[in-house]
Amino acid sequence: MHGVHGRYLHIDLDTGSVAEHPIPEEVSIRVIGGVGLASLLLYRWAPPGVDPLAPENPLIFATSPFIGTGITTASKVAVVTKSPQTGMIGDSLSSSYLAIALKRTGFDALVITGKATGWSLLVVDDGRVEVRPAMDLLGRTPDETAESVRAALGSGFRVAAIGEAGERGVRYAAISNDGRLAGRTGGGAVMGSKRLKAIAVRGSGLPTVADPAGLARAARDLAARSLGPGTAKYRELGTAANLAFFNRIGVLPTRNFQQGEFAGAEAISGETLFLEHRTDKHACAACTIGCEHHYRTRDGGSERTVRLEYESLFALGSLCGVDDPNAVLRAAALCDDLGMDAITAGATVAWAMECAERGVDLGYPADEIPRFGDADSLLRTIEAIGRRQGIGDLLAEGSRRAAERTGQGSEAWAMHVKGLEMPGYDPRKLPTLALGLAVATRGACHNRSSAYDIDFSDRLDPDAEAQARAEAAAAAEDQAAVLDSLTICKFLRHCFDDLYAEAAELYTLVTGVPATGDDLRVAGERINNLKKLFNIREGWTRADDRLPDRVLTGEAGLTHERLTHLIDAYYRVRGWDADGRIPEAHLTRLGLTDLL
Amino acid sequence: MHQAATTVHVELFGVPRLLAGRKTIAVAGETLGALSRALLDACPALAERVIDPRTGWLTEGYMFVVNDRFSRDPTFPVAPGSSVLLVSSVAGG
Repeated sequence: MHGVHGRYLHIDLDTGSVAEHPIPEEVSIRVIGGVGLASLLLYRWAPPGVDPLAPENPLIFATSPFIGTGITTASKVAVVTKSPQTGMIGDSLSSSYLAIALKRTGFDALVITGKATGWSLLVVDDGRVEVRPAMDLLGRTPDETAESVRAALGSGFRVAAIGEAGERGVRYAAISNDGRLAGRTGGGAVMGSKRLKAIAVRGSGLPTVADPAGLARAARDLAARSLGPGTAKYRELGTAANLAFFNRIGVLPTRNFQQGEFAGAEAISGETLFLEHRTDKHACAACTIGCEHHYRTRDGGSERTVRLEYESLFALGSLCGVDDPNAVLRAAALCDDLGMDAITAGATVAWAMECAERGVDLGYPADEIPRFGDADSLLRTIEAIGRRQGIGDLLAEGSRRAAERTGQGSEAWAMHVKGLEMPGYDPRKLPTLALGLAVATRGACHNRSSAYDIDFSDRLDPDAEAQARAEAAAAAEDQAAVLDSLTICKFLRHCFDDLYAEAAELYTLVTGVPATGDDLRVAGERINNLKKLFNIREGWTRADDRLPDRVLTGEAGLTHERLTHLIDAYYRVRGWDADGRIPEAHLTRLGLTDLL
Repeated sequence: MHQAATTVHVELFGVPRLLAGRKTIAVAGETLGALSRALLDACPALAERVIDPRTGWLTEGYMFVVNDRFSRDPTFPVAPGSSVLLVSSVAGG
């Protein structure tokens, strides 16, 4: 089989031992790579019931057959672990050069277990592994860390690093590389719990591809299509373009999801940012789209340029009632510097702001309590979270745990699913997305189903019944699983006429393994069932597939009863029982039984 | 008896707003196809990137939202008093 190395590396930080393990061809085919491969390795390596912050919880980095082949947008690494936010599977992806360097090491994945005796830098240089002391890197931002490590190690290394948030165990700490982040579900906290400040990888060996000439033609064709209308929004204005439109149709989460419209939206809209703050745009390694728009503060203070996406914009803007674009940019930069997920950071601050609004005693001095619309308090609180100082120590736990500790009814406005804070789409008017958020294995996530695509289109009638929405949500999840396992960017999804068939053709050109579109579709279903199976093993029950009560009040028709119907239909579509469990025969049909 | 087409204030978002240099354009039309052609006449800056001047219809990357209904159907009727938005057809991010 071409396109993969057929082996992964296990590094035990407790003992310093390193071991190679084979990945049989049949296994590679069934889970593809990326998130699929890493999910399987998580299932195998994580002891059932393991504490996410215990040394035994594996931190897994996985590549895919497409990385390094010239297929546009495919330079992404999957980062998978048991999430310290949800206690369930935590899967994230991060783009750019790290993925290529990791694949060049000669392994399809790294599985890291154990805990180093002191703060460390893990170096994987082709097949050689070394754990070096890294005390001198503590307190540095991820970018500063990468710069220091690369300067020390020499050319060709790419670095994944955590910031102070990861060092201090902020549960939603991220892992950063090349200015990108594996942002959601707290992989940075797991890395920090292992006393790993950074991982540097370098290598010289990419696997061969089966049909280089055919692949080059197909890759050129896809690259050309990546510059078409399916990506125009991302290239021209970036995801920040969502904000004004979402506000107009009432789905812009505002003041901790109390409203769907924000009076200050115009000031922080993508259009305003483009005209008044945008500096330039960048592309990840091997990407032709170039969606990464950068913006500069213009408030008279020290200038700061920062990458900003819609999700950071809503979470640090409307969700906190902040309409000062400079403050939002500075808050996003702080999250990057400290190394933490801006969605959860903003959402947890918004929870605290609502506590203050409702007079809940958080147990901290008044001058530490953030307030809706108060940009200074937003910035101060984010900094406190990253350093776990004062109220930041409570908020570093995320909204679910902070609410559980605080009580006084504050659980009612902790806006999360399974412990992962909600993204920037008010589900009250978006029923397919609502279902996708409720059932997603990693918690409230818009990226593991993209079910909003259905709601923002004319493909389903607004009154469509549960069955049609359940089919659409499950199909969107399976497609996302295939993209995340081939490690193709989701921004490319509208560039295919028939995603599965065309991706299968690319897969065959790379690997030499005959594959059909249906093979890939089934692989997507298999991977989603694998992730669900992990969650079931870790204690998932149907009660975890839920949405916060706040969005189920009947506004725009979304009620507990309707969501229950949608979830019932989704389980039927999935072939699961009424409790959402997977029948043994279904696992066998999907070829999962003998994989585990 | 033929009734004069109703004037609709089409709200622009994203690239259409930047190209037009304004947030709304008032045009008349009883279908989305008619509105699209009228938009092109009223704002030639939308040509090519947003509206195909050969067909007068939206390029692939755009769609209308009429009273919360998403549509790329040029025959979609537009009733008097409708809310009409012109947005990117690529959702999310």
